[in-house]
Amino acid sequence: MRAWVEAEAEKCVYCGFCEPLCPTLYPGGHRGYGPRGRVNIAFNIVRGGKHTGETLKSIYSCLLCGACNLVCPAKIDIVGVIRASRALGG
Amino acid sequence: MAKRIPEDLRKLLGKDKVIDDPEIVSLYAREPSGISSEALAVVFPENVKDVSKIASYAYKNGVLIYPQGSTTDLVGGAVPEPKGIVVSFERMNRIINVSILDSIVDVEVGVRLGDLNVELAKHGYMFPIDPGSVNITTVGGAVNSGAGGLRGAKYGTMRDWVLGLTIVLPDEAGTVMRVGCRTTKCRQGYDLVRLIVGSEGTLALVAEATLKITPLPETMATALAFFSTLENLFEAYREIKSSGVQPLVMEFMDYETAKLAGEASKSPINVEGHMLLVSVDCNFEAVERVESWLRRVMEKNGALKVYTSKTIEGAEPLFTIRRSLFPAQVAMASKLYPGRKKIVYMEDIAVPPSKLLEAVTAVRRISEEKGLKVSIGGHVGDGNLHPSVAFPVDDEIVKKKVLEWEFEVSKTAVELGGTVSAEHGIGLRKKEFLKMEMEKLGSLKALEIMKGVKKVFDPKGILNPGKVV
Amino acid sequence: MLDPLQIIRLVEDNMRAHGLPFPAPRESLYSWAKPLNLPEKGSPMIYTGGLYQLTPYIVSVVESLSKTEDLRLTSMAFRASRLLSALGLSGLVVRPKADVASYIERVLRSIVELLREAGVKVAYAYEDDMYSGVILYDLGLDSLFKENAVKVYRALKSRGAEVIITVDPHTTHIMRSVYPKYVEGYDLKVKSYLEVLAETGFKVERRDRGDIVIHDPCLYARFESIIEQPRTLLGNAGFKVLEPRRSGRMTYCCGGPIEGLAPKIAKTIAKTRLSELAEKPGVIVTMCPICYANLKAVSDEKVEIEDIALLLRG
Repeated sequence: MRAWVEAEAEKCVYCGFCEPLCPTLYPGGHRGYGPRGRVNIAFNIVRGGKHTGETLKSIYSCLLCGACNLVCPAKIDIVGVIRASRALGG
Repeated sequence: MAKRIPEDLRKLLGKDKVIDDPEIVSLYAREPSGISSEALAVVFPENVKDVSKIASYAYKNGVLIYPQGSTTDLVGGAVPEPKGIVVSFERMNRIINVSILDSIVDVEVGVRLGDLNVELAKHGYMFPIDPGSVNITTVGGAVNSGAGGLRGAKYGTMRDWVLGLTIVLPDEAGTVMRVGCRTTKCRQGYDLVRLIVGSEGTLALVAEATLKITPLPETMATALAFFSTLENLFEAYREIKSSGVQPLVMEFMDYETAKLAGEASKSPINVEGHMLLVSVDCNFEAVERVESWLRRVMEKNGALKVYTSKTIEGAEPLFTIRRSLFPAQVAMASKLYPGRKKIVYMEDIAVPPSKLLEAVTAVRRISEEKGLKVSIGGHVGDGNLHPSVAFPVDDEIVKKKVLEWEFEVSKTAVELGGTVSAEHGIGLRKKEFLKMEMEKLGSLKALEIMKGVKKVFDPKGILNPGKVV
Repeated sequence: MLDPLQIIRLVEDNMRAHGLPFPAPRESLYSWAKPLNLPEKGSPMIYTGGLYQLTPYIVSVVESLSKTEDLRLTSMAFRASRLLSALGLSGLVVRPKADVASYIERVLRSIVELLREAGVKVAYAYEDDMYSGVILYDLGLDSLFKENAVKVYRALKSRGAEVIITVDPHTTHIMRSVYPKYVEGYDLKVKSYLEVLAETGFKVERRDRGDIVIHDPCLYARFESIIEQPRTLLGNAGFKVLEPRRSGRMTYCCGGPIEGLAPKIAKTIAKTRLSELAEKPGVIVTMCPICYANLKAVSDEKVEIEDIALLLRG
């Protein structure tokens, strides 16, 4: 699962196409509350990074609603990555 | 000093408006161009006053500041390098006022173009600038990058649609200033609005904008055609462009790119050759005639297959392939370099429409010479091409080739009477190309003037330093 | 936002103590079906997975937890555990939200009646209608999830289930698309009751029952391709189905999945969605208890929200 998350998250080209569809981005208040931020935070976590207060909020405020998955040009399973990072790096 | 800055800003703005958690800050220190750096903190102004306080603080303390929208920049225009603070406008996202009678809308710059259009559609209106990233692009980002888009041939770019701006200067007082008018006609001395539009956040912090709006088209005729040769395609293009109509959209994708985009979008349309997509907006009464005319022109010039539509909704499936240009470019990169971190470089040249065939042919030749797989798409209605190539970040050899390719493509554009950047901007990545273009025009002095202008607006050089000139 | 690690601990503790993620009595899962006297073995078997029934408890837990949200996350670690016990959350039982609880009972009974009218006789496992583990999976508690999933599967099999009929989108998704990855030899066929009804061509002979606005739940629309069935069923039942601005696969989440972790954000999202749904006239239809509770919590009496089962039942 760790290797899968890494490979999946590494596909991110940082285009941000996912962000306007994410319901938590605006109420959250910063990029960590959007899929682009979460995928990259998840990537760092599964690579052994430590959670900070803000990254914990980022990863656990995801609705897993899957809106971002629909539009990702790199076809990343964003929801899968975020959920897996919870399982791996809790 | 560096440690003190976030604390100072918290006192100045309130603690919720400043973030210095390094993991979150790093999300604001990179962009799709692959260029990344580090920043000290991110601040989130919520109104013009906040922006003014930030500008004044930065001036007094010599802190570098980097305004950001949604950072979809492809040229390194929003990267905080050297280290400073990022000013993210994402919380300034109010639509202040829509006036149909005046045909304007007042917005804070954090509003996304997609959201703006949802609001305007309720009134039967639209804001016509639609870069590929229209749903994520903020007004501020579009203003600062001088964005264009699919409908550029008809509607131009941001500089044609911004009437007025509220800007904040990086000076002692954080001076708040209104430039431009609330009317289309406006002779307010030197045109500072157009100076700011496309200035990539190097002259002033743009906080609010007054934008022109226009009615949604009643309907449109659309034709999607595939050609076996570029010559045939551009012959059809020439005929449409010379017939006294002004298409809303004219999009091109070469065969290989269209094929990938077709796959990426799971479109049921079979991609049979180089692709030309044309939409003409018109009245209901005229649409049948325009549609059959488009079909005729395409067929007469050897189109292998033509698909048409007489409604805006009906055209959606015909646009699917075009809308997947970027996903196709990403897919191509993934195919070429599976399992490796890669960067997609998208060029942004424009040439006079009469030179398009030459430009496309040259780009294909240069790519072949360099041994790079290229994908070419573009808003050909206005001569704008977006050839793109990719490289794995850890492969210096391919990267070097890509940089050479980029330079040659840009040089070709200039030689054909075009420009190195149509709508993405100069940022960090294209400074050298800009210089080449100005040199070719015998206008190197213009760069000196630009530097002088920068100095007038930003005497300490603290605002998005190192970009453009 | 609340401290996720505390919430995780709350869920884990409850799960280990009595097989449910929140403090609720075991009977709360199957008491709704007692008067129905359904056969306790056989197939197809209705399997609720408990999400509907737990909703009134979740609402109560969230109300209590929201009170702690304004505390700084950093100082939460030790304070929260005391707070949780002060609020009675580490105890065994919280009082369910009464109005929601009786509503949920009506929904579940309506589902069984609808199936019966469509000619589908279902069994029900009563005490073996166990919690599916949706929240464990969502929170990434994979080993606990797996352990639970194996238990659920075995219980259902021991009751003779081959086809299970699910009643909400989360449970449908977890049983159909997630269990097979965690339970060896998993062979249950999973269908949502909406799919079952649509397949039978179920029709209520009524006309002109007015406009309704459909709110697609994310998991049905995006993960299980259940989009057309509810529309067909509602149309057949005499409703005019109106689409909100974002619908089908492009639907917009109600905010519910994070109501326990980030109540404020969840509320903001629910308000956004509700105002979008209210742009069209008519009753708002939900197909998921979480959507129902979360939208209901931010609505006033002017807005009518109704579960699809009750509308179909008429």
